Amino acid sequence: MRLRRVGGGEFDIDILGHEGSTVRARIDGIELSVSFESIADGAAMVTVNGRRYRVFGAALRDRILVTAGPMGFEFRRVEEGRSQAAKGLATPELCAPMPGKVLRILVKEGDEVEAGAGLLVLEAMKMETTLASETPARVKRILVAEGQMVDHGAVMIELSPSAQAPSHPESAPPES
Amino acid sequence: MKRREIGKLLIANRGEIALRIIRSAKALGIRTVAVFSEADARSPHVAAADEAICIGPAEASKSYLNADVIIAAARTTGADALHPGYGFLSERPEFARAVAKAGIVFVGPPADVMAALGDKLSGRRIAKQAGVPMVPGAETASPGEIRAFAEREGYPILIKASAGGGGRGMRIVADESQLEAALEAGSREAMAAFGDGRVFVEKYLARPRHVEVQILGDMHGNLVTLGERDCSIQRRYQKIIEESPAPGLSASMRTKMAEAALALGRSVGYRSAGTVEFLVDGDNFYFLEVNARLQVEHPVTELRFGCDLVAEQLRIAAGERVSDVAAPVGCAIECRINAEDAANNFRPATGTVMHLAAPAGPGVRFDSHLEAGLEVGTHYDSLLGKLVTFGATREQARSRMVVALGEFSLLGVMNSAGFLRDIVASEPFARANLSTHFLDQFFSKWHPAETDGLEAAMVAAAMVASGAFGTRNGRGAAPAAAGPAIAARRSPWDELSGFELWRPR
Repeated sequence: MRLRRVGGGEFDIDILGHEGSTVRARIDGIELSVSFESIADGAAMVTVNGRRYRVFGAALRDRILVTAGPMGFEFRRVEEGRSQAAKGLATPELCAPMPGKVLRILVKEGDEVEAGAGLLVLEAMKMETTLASETPARVKRILVAEGQMVDHGAVMIELSPSAQAPSHPESAPPES
Repeated sequence: MKRREIGKLLIANRGEIALRIIRSAKALGIRTVAVFSEADARSPHVAAADEAICIGPAEASKSYLNADVIIAAARTTGADALHPGYGFLSERPEFARAVAKAGIVFVGPPADVMAALGDKLSGRRIAKQAGVPMVPGAETASPGEIRAFAEREGYPILIKASAGGGGRGMRIVADESQLEAALEAGSREAMAAFGDGRVFVEKYLARPRHVEVQILGDMHGNLVTLGERDCSIQRRYQKIIEESPAPGLSASMRTKMAEAALALGRSVGYRSAGTVEFLVDGDNFYFLEVNARLQVEHPVTELRFGCDLVAEQLRIAAGERVSDVAAPVGCAIECRINAEDAANNFRPATGTVMHLAAPAGPGVRFDSHLEAGLEVGTHYDSLLGKLVTFGATREQARSRMVVALGEFSLLGVMNSAGFLRDIVASEPFARANLSTHFLDQFFSKWHPAETDGLEAAMVAAAMVASGAFGTRNGRGAAPAAAGPAIAARRSPWDELSGFELWRPR
């Protein structure tokens, strides 16, 4: 399966097998063997290269949350054919990361934007947050208006790959 | 100088500070009343108090900011005193006045003192009259005069919300071309946060430290200081790490600042706990503002002075005298753990606490309302808890903090603990190279270390995705029903769940 770490990159991981408490996995082509001892529902002691971690994990709608010791990680399952490499676009839409009010829309439909360009200003928790495009993109459709309240996860702006980008979704070859 | 026994205290707040106040009240034998919004009905402070009363829906404006409903709750439950905590109504003089008018003791400074100090312009006037050094500033709210000030004093300048605190509505203006936009944005944010769009302006100091003095006064004319706190580690003017004493401050500087704080407090007849904030720039210090309430970071002072500031507030409100101040010892550091994604532009995070490991050990204190099952939403501030460590030296307190943050583990809500740990473990922090620009200077593009625990987490994530491992979400939805992204594609290995050890029982 392919996973994307939120705030990190994508990787392929497969569980190859198990024996006792040993789990064999392959991460981006590299095999490793870890000790995976389940303690309770959602809790385990995982040993990697001699280091032991208390690990807690949970599935939450579209996300997988894991803590390993003090570190918290968030992963998302990447659907085949929707990976970043295939479309040149990490996320085809801008969703509200939290409930809030759309203060200002900084782009209009048809605009070409650079990676990191601000798309929209959201006010939540009394703070103004400018939400930016992760990659170069074209603004396909704007689904909200200034002053509108949005819920967590609401699609606010639809994006399509930048016209300048080498691969276009319609003409992109299937992922090998 | 009337003495008044407090028999029952209503705590007009939520979260960690409500728990904190309830603890001290209970230890004094005072009965407690919690108030809660519908969103907080299952919060720990509700169960911790002797009684609890719902004051409205989740929106703060309809619950924790609803003065009438809170005063009615105090009347209904027969509370004879009210502690406002910090934030919400704690610095609203009209609220303090209404509480007193209802015959209830307000645990805090007199309403008139609060009104005089709470407004930035009048607060500066009072400080000036008391002989406290001031940063050059313009006591005006008119855009024209702000422009004139900037031309006179030179850029950069700072524009602030007149009614505010905590940095909301603050803007640095580097040159004239930014002035118009900053005035507009600052005013709008101030209006959204405080319902008051007035702003004012002052000269911007290049690399200042934020140092504040704790004061405590009673109604018999006694006013004392309890050392200072360095709160220089801030992000967007929100403090995230505080410590006491302020490292590297000379004895004469410390004395001068304490004297300035006392002079200011005496000039207004300050009562209860308060904080006089200064900006320190080399050997100069300048008045910033007075926070006429208990501060979030009060625990660092408590650990050094072996005192309980909430208990002192309650005793003072009952007409007793300020306790003798013990000689301070050691060093204390506080880290505020917030529900935010530090690696992702500090986006506010929400979620349900599915697992929590709280730090412990010698010199470790954790003030928090976190517990398994707690839902963290966006209605209120993002503070999840305050981790405080104490040591004989700063280095001992600091290394204990690194260890304690390493013990903290929270599943379900993204939080800033890893970010804080990297800061406290860093060389600039260890050398106490402090200024309010510390984070911009040393941690502007922070990302968690890639290696630590990542492989273990990746394997665990794959096990969760295949349904072989992992708890259900707080509301009981099984992974299979958790959306197509996880449940859809199954490889033969996903049938691993047949293996008993990993099976949810």
